[in-house]
Amino acid sequence: MPTASDQTPRWFRQPRRSWVLAALAPLLAVTAGACGAAAPEASGGSQGAAESGKLVVWDWHSGDAKTKAYYDKAKTDFEGKHPGVEVEFVAQPYDQYYTLLGTAIQAGKGPDLAMFNGGAQLRERAASLIPLDEKTKDLSERLTGWDAFKDKGTTYAVPITLQGFPFYYNKSVYKKAGLDPEKPPASLAELKADCAAIKKAGTACFNLGNKEGLGIEFFLSGFAPGVFSPQQYDAWLAGKRDWSSPEVKQIFQLWKSSNDEGWYNQGVNSTAMFMDQFTMFSGGKGGNVIGLISDTAHWKDFDEFLGPDLGVYQPPVLNPANATKTYLPAEGGIGYGVMKWTKNQELAVDLVKSLASTDALKLFYGNAGAIAADTTIDTSDATVPAVKSIVSWLPDSKPLLHTALSAKTLDLIHRLSQQLINGDVTVDQALTQLAASDK
Amino acid sequence: MTSQAVAAPRRATAVRRFRIAEHKLAPWILLAPSVLVIVALRVIPLFLGAQYSLTGDGERNGVFVGLDNYRALLHDRVFGIALKNVGLLFLALPVAVAIPGILATFLFLKVPGHRFYRSVYFFPVVLSPVIIGAIFNILLSFDGPVNQLLGRAGLGPVDWLGNGKVAIFSVIAVHIWATFGMALVIFLAGFATLDQSLLDAARCDGANLAQTVRHVVIPELSRTIQFVFVTTMIGLLTGMFGLLYVMTAGGPGGATYLPELYIWITQGQMNSPALASAASMVLFVLMLFVGFAQLRLIKRATKEA
Repeated sequence: MPTASDQTPRWFRQPRRSWVLAALAPLLAVTAGACGAAAPEASGGSQGAAESGKLVVWDWHSGDAKTKAYYDKAKTDFEGKHPGVEVEFVAQPYDQYYTLLGTAIQAGKGPDLAMFNGGAQLRERAASLIPLDEKTKDLSERLTGWDAFKDKGTTYAVPITLQGFPFYYNKSVYKKAGLDPEKPPASLAELKADCAAIKKAGTACFNLGNKEGLGIEFFLSGFAPGVFSPQQYDAWLAGKRDWSSPEVKQIFQLWKSSNDEGWYNQGVNSTAMFMDQFTMFSGGKGGNVIGLISDTAHWKDFDEFLGPDLGVYQPPVLNPANATKTYLPAEGGIGYGVMKWTKNQELAVDLVKSLASTDALKLFYGNAGAIAADTTIDTSDATVPAVKSIVSWLPDSKPLLHTALSAKTLDLIHRLSQQLINGDVTVDQALTQLAASDK
Repeated sequence: MTSQAVAAPRRATAVRRFRIAEHKLAPWILLAPSVLVIVALRVIPLFLGAQYSLTGDGERNGVFVGLDNYRALLHDRVFGIALKNVGLLFLALPVAVAIPGILATFLFLKVPGHRFYRSVYFFPVVLSPVIIGAIFNILLSFDGPVNQLLGRAGLGPVDWLGNGKVAIFSVIAVHIWATFGMALVIFLAGFATLDQSLLDAARCDGANLAQTVRHVVIPELSRTIQFVFVTTMIGLLTGMFGLLYVMTAGGPGGATYLPELYIWITQGQMNSPALASAASMVLFVLMLFVGFAQLRLIKRATKEA
C-alpha cells in the first residue's frame, strides 16, 4: 500500500531534502569560515622559505599620506634585496593599537613586525619580541635612542625616530603681552612673570589638554631637567625613584598651582591633548606648549600655522640649587620590533633594517617632520629655525622620565593628574599612591 | 501469501518510523546553525573566559592562580569606582524608563504633531554612539554652546565632562537621550495591544487620567514595562562603552569608569587579559543577578492589587 510519502510528487520531496541542506548551509559556511580564518594567519606569517612568502607589518603610520614616501622607499629597498618576498603594511588606529596587538600576543599569532612607542609600551611586551642586539650591531653607531627600546639591557626594537619635549612658544603672543619675543623664560621667576603678563593680555600662557591624563607626562618629563640634579635624574631612570623627594613634590606642586593660577586654557580635564591642545596653540590661542619632536605636534606642524612666530626653548631652570643648566629631554620615539612567532626572523630583521635605512628615514624627516633616529641625516639645510635648535640640543639630551614608569603607574599618574587639577586629591596623597604603585 | 501479508505492514511501519524521525529531526536541524553559532561564539568563550580568569598575567601568564585576579579586583580602586557607577545606573534606570514611557503615553493620546515627534524621538537611535559622543563633546565643552547659554542666563560655566562629580551624570544623560527611542517604540507596541474596552470602562466609571494610568495602563503594560526595565538596564550596563570612550575615556580621575571600559583598558592598555577576564565574569554575574532581580521586582510592582 502506497504511503502518503510515496504519493508526494518528486518535485515536492526534492525540496524537502534540499531545505535540510539549506538549513545546514549556514553551518557549513560558518565551519568553512572558521577554517578559513586561519588562512590569513598562515599567509600573514613568513613562510619559512628564505626568499619567498610575505611579511606583515603593523603600525599606525602607513596609512598617512605624509609617510607614504617613507614606506614606499623602505619597501622598495627590502624587495630589491629579497625579490620573492612580499611586504604588507597594515595601519591600525592608534587609540586601539596596543589593544589589538595585545590580543594578537595572547593568541600567539599576528604581524611579523610591529611598531612600538619607546618605554613602557615596549617593555610590557618585550616577552613577545626577539632580542636584536646581535642582529643589529651594524646599526648601533648610525642610529640613536636605543635605550627606549631596551628591557633589562636587551634591545627589542630598532629606533626610527626620536621623541622629545621641547617648549614651543608663539613670539606674536609674547609681543602682544609686552614681552621680548626673542627671550623665552629661562627660570621659574621669568616663567611666572611671563605667564602673568600673557594671561593679563587675554591669552592662555600654556595650552593644555588633559582629557587623556597625558598632560602630566609632558609636564613631568618636560620640567624635570630644570628641577632634578643630574644624579637624581639618572637614579630615576635606573629605577631608584624617590617619590617623596622635594624635587618630585616641586613638580607636582607646580602642576597644581599653575592650574590654580590660571596658566592654562579653561576646562583642561575635558580638553583632548591630541589634537585640541595643539590646535589651540597653532591657532594662536596660547603663548607656550610642551610639544613633541616625533610623529606629530612638532615643529613642522606648528610652523605650518605660526611660521616665523614659532620659537622653541629648553626647559627653564626651576631649581637652581640642583640644575644650573638644562637640556632637552629626548630619547627613542618609535621603532620596529620582530615578533617571536615570526618564522623567518632573519628576513624580518632585514625588513627592520630597510625601515631604518638612511634613505627611508630622510623621507620620514622631510615629509612628516619627525626627527629621525639616524645621526647621519643632515638637517643643516632646514629652513625652520626651530628644527635647527632642536637638532643642536640632541647630543646633550637625556631620556624622558615618564617612559621609565610601568604602564600601571602611568595609568595611575594620568588619573591623579586630573584629580589634582580638580582638587580631589592633595599632592602628598598623589605621591603616596604613586610610590606604592612604583615598587 | 501469508508471508507477503506480514511483510507489507512491516515495510509500512518502517517508513512511518522514518517519517516520524524526520519530523522530529527537522526542528533540530533548523535550529542547529543558530545553536552552534551561539555555543561557538557565546557559550564556549564564556567558559574559556571563566577559565582564563583563574590564570595569571605577565610573568604568571598561563599559570593557575586561583582567585587571585578576583582578590585584585576587590582591592582595585578603579574597579570599585566602576561598580559604584553601576549603582548610579540603577538610580538612573527609573528616569531612563519613565522618559520613553511618558512620551509614549503622549503619543498614544495623539497629542498635536505626534507623528512628527515619533520620528524625532526615534532619530538618535540610528546614530552611532561615536557620532553622538563627538556631537556632545562639542556641545558640552567648556566654551561650548551649553555653557554659552548658561552664561547668557547669568549662570557660571560647568565643566560637564571635566568635573569628576558631574561627568558621569553628563554621560548617563546623553546615553538616555541617545537610546530612549527604542524603549519608546516598545512602549508604543505595548499600547497597541492595550484593551480599549478597559479604558472605556474606566472612563465610564469616572476615572481620571492618573487613576486610568495606575489601574489600567500600568497593569495592562506590565510585561512591556518589565521588558523595557530589563533591556534598558542591560543597555546601561553594556551599551555605554562607545559614549564613555569618546566623551571621557573614563576620566577625570577614573570618575566615569564602568566595568565594560575597565575591561577594555585592563586588557588593552594594561596588557592584563586575565584580570580583564575576571572583571568580565563579575560583570556577567552582575547582569544575571540584575536581570533576574528586576524581573521579580517589576512583576510584583506592576501587579494590580
